Amino acid sequence: MDVLSPTETDAVVARARLGDPVALEALYRCYSTGVYNLARRICRTTEDADDVVQETFFEVCRSIRTYRGDGSIWGWIRSVASSKALMRLRRNKYRATDELNDELAPARGASTALRMDLESALGRLSDTARAVVWLHDVEGYTHEEIGSQMGRTASFSKSQLSRAHQRLRGWLGEEAVIA
Amino acid sequence: MTHLTMEQLLAVRDDDRSEPEFAEAHSHVAACEACRGELDRLHQRTARLRALPTMSSAHNHFPAVRARWQWDRQQRRIRLVSGVCTAAAAALLLSVVGRDLLIPPRLNAEQQLQTAIDASQQLEATLHAWDPAQRVVDGRTAQLVVVIEDRIAEVDSRLQDIARLEHQERLRRQVELWRERVSLMNALVDVHVTQASNVDL
Repeated sequence: MDVLSPTETDAVVARARLGDPVALEALYRCYSTGVYNLARRICRTTEDADDVVQETFFEVCRSIRTYRGDGSIWGWIRSVASSKALMRLRRNKYRATDELNDELAPARGASTALRMDLESALGRLSDTARAVVWLHDVEGYTHEEIGSQMGRTASFSKSQLSRAHQRLRGWLGEEAVIA
Repeated sequence: MTHLTMEQLLAVRDDDRSEPEFAEAHSHVAACEACRGELDRLHQRTARLRALPTMSSAHNHFPAVRARWQWDRQQRRIRLVSGVCTAAAAALLLSVVGRDLLIPPRLNAEQQLQTAIDASQQLEATLHAWDPAQRVVDGRTAQLVVVIEDRIAEVDSRLQDIARLEHQERLRRQVELWRERVSLMNALVDVHVTQASNVDL
């Protein structure tokens, strides 16, 4: 992953807006890992995450002229990526895992051997809940922004986050968290 | 004592005071050790989420992205150029052919005169073939025929009178008079044929 200084970023973005493939590739090298990580945390499979990366940078190439420089270029690319990842979730319509998750979740105070690590617990959440947790708690999106991207309300996002944390808390166990 | 729900704990963590109960939750945490513990666990969990390792793809997707983008650009250019060409061709076609289709051709004065003379002669031939002299007509029809024939004679007379007019003016008047003659000949044919049909019946 390449890192660009703010001045370099501005120059690269200006050239990318003119359709310079070298500049577009520089953006890819700089931000593709961030996009992949976000996509991989929201989608379930590496294949889906790879597809999201391709879709995102194709959209970046096509639409970078519409980027007006209001926010950071990473913020703009990230919003394209999260939108593509959520679209991928909607398209795939994975199995509803909430009920299954409840069954699999160890009760509070159960043996620590049954407790999951955070990575697995995150993977056990429903697609929507996992996306909300990641977008809100890690990427820093507001509930309004998440609700808007999902075509739902801010209350929906809040409720999903609350339920997700309740589940994570149960699956991870208190001691494991405190330790 | 009732402890905070997860939603309230999240509101405290995110400093969300949008609901009255969230505002109360802030003061509750200050007084409740169990809820402070839960809030700590929530903070730790969030920190651990943020500390999860960054995942990166094993593939370089840019060549595929660039190929697709360039193909897309090419297609958009082709669509744009073909759209412009189609519009230009349509405009050209409309200006050349459409004008003739939409607006009847304008004949010059000589052509208009010839058309009127031809029509008049055709009607006279029709009347001649009908041979009205050999037909029986009632009094009312005969009266009408006389009126029309008088008016045709008058038109013929005026056609003779305008011979001395200047060419353009004469042409204009000739066209008017021949058209009037055609109209009268039409009426004459109608009267004869209609009356004859009635007689036959």
